[in-house]
Amino acid sequence: MKVAINALQNAQGPGAAGGVARRPGLGQRWKGSRNLLPALLFLGLFFFVPLIGLLLRGVLEPVPGLGNYEQLFANSAYTRVLVNTFSVAGLVTVISVLLGFPLAWAITLVPRGWGRWLLNIVLLSMWTSLLARTYSWLVLLQSSGVVNKVLMALGIIDAPIEMVHNLTGVVIGMSYIMIPFIVLPLQATMHAIDPMVLQAGSICGASPWTNFWKVFLPLCRSGLFSGALMVFVMSLGYYVTPALLGGAQNMMLPEFIIQQVQSFLNWGMASAAAALLVAITLVLFYLYLKLQPESPVGNAR
Amino acid sequence: MLLSPNAMGRPLRTGLYLTTGVIAAFLLLPVVFIVLLSFGSSQWLVFPPPGWTLKWYGQFFSNPEWMDAALASLKVAVLTTIAAVALGLPTAFALVRGRFPGREMLYGLFTLPMIVPLVIIAVAVYALFLKLGYTGTLFAFVVSHVIVALPFTIISIINSLKLFDQSIEDAAVICGASRLQAIFKVTFPAIRPGMIAGGLFAFLVSWDEVVLSVMMASPDLQTLPVKMWTTLRQDLSPVIAVASTLLIGLSLFVMFIAAALRRRAEANA
Repeated sequence: MKVAINALQNAQGPGAAGGVARRPGLGQRWKGSRNLLPALLFLGLFFFVPLIGLLLRGVLEPVPGLGNYEQLFANSAYTRVLVNTFSVAGLVTVISVLLGFPLAWAITLVPRGWGRWLLNIVLLSMWTSLLARTYSWLVLLQSSGVVNKVLMALGIIDAPIEMVHNLTGVVIGMSYIMIPFIVLPLQATMHAIDPMVLQAGSICGASPWTNFWKVFLPLCRSGLFSGALMVFVMSLGYYVTPALLGGAQNMMLPEFIIQQVQSFLNWGMASAAAALLVAITLVLFYLYLKLQPESPVGNAR
Repeated sequence: MLLSPNAMGRPLRTGLYLTTGVIAAFLLLPVVFIVLLSFGSSQWLVFPPPGWTLKWYGQFFSNPEWMDAALASLKVAVLTTIAAVALGLPTAFALVRGRFPGREMLYGLFTLPMIVPLVIIAVAVYALFLKLGYTGTLFAFVVSHVIVALPFTIISIINSLKLFDQSIEDAAVICGASRLQAIFKVTFPAIRPGMIAGGLFAFLVSWDEVVLSVMMASPDLQTLPVKMWTTLRQDLSPVIAVASTLLIGLSLFVMFIAAALRRRAEANA
């Protein structure tokens, strides 16, 4: 089967590399592209046109110019939203990496059956309804909730602490949601590491400590970076969890956008904030793609 | 040695296993908790519950609002699945088999809805449908869900189409089948796992979609997540735990199907 894939990819290679050998006719050149039309038309009409329309409103409404952007960066209430967004996304990324790393490591190393179970737990948590999980955290973290009760029973705290309707709740809930997005790429990277390399390290006299920092961690880097970058990007654009677990005083950018549209009908400001979020997302995603070894439809390079 | 548990050394191994146990428990906690809570008798969600009951399930199934929402969810999800597979199938064929320039860029374009934050898609589509007067219609729900479901179906179908050797289809044509016949009778059955996986993804994406749905919803038409969302903002009623449990049950069911399909595909390979 593997041979068949390679054969297929090699067969695609020269053709797609583009008219070096001979110039194909126009019909030949666009062969098979007609099948793209339905989806292209659909996305064009319902995704690209509205998206561009939305982004344009930021420089057109209420008056043409960069007024909305000026306000976005000058008004201290708005800059606070930006600071919240980035600090929460950063914190969530760090926490989910710290929790995801040992889990991915254990999945790679325990006997196959156990590894399968751990992986299933990760997948179950990932595919369980987002709203259901967020609701669950809302109940768990409320002041009369289980977490506060357990902490009080253990004598760690004397009185219930506020863990929802503030950024603490947002960070806990989002870190929980993001762990699978770290574990899955990282586990794939670790799985591909040749154990012999680590053995070689220890034979050459490296202590487990040195071996971990100088050999194992650098080998995990690609999975770690792409997972962390993806989590950071996703965290910047998350709405549901911050809206339910967070408070009205500590908004993040997505909540701010919805609020401007729904409560204030201020499309210009919403659109400026949206353009900022799209720009950051696309730049970070471009970096993410640069970290990927190969493109999914790409030719064998 | 850091990758073989036996050579790792006891303290490190014990430490890692303990940490893993705690993190796995952390991942399971909210899922198990919500299921238990849906059977608990306390209105105030006291845990552990003072007793066990099915009364919240009774309330869920006897309340026409919840039932309408569940039915609407199902309708939207099924229509989204059909539309996403129908649009994704020709796209995947063109991207895998086409020989035209810019395929890489087009692939990026088609997966863009997966990357652009949902909030922004929701606001953009909402603005469009507001202008057209379509908000709160079934059409608006399905269209907005298809936008985000489409990348999943395209990717799944591309993956299985790349595994399929086109010369088998050519062989059918040489043996006298028309190209269309060959595609329907030979290629489609061969890439069925990818089509089904893509359909399942589309279904789950639509079934669980909150942000787009909240923007598209009207008092007359709302899906289950929208109903949960609006109820959640008023109180934490145990009926939401019931709805959550049903959503979890469905996810488990779909995961189970996906796993069974994967096993069958592996057995065939």
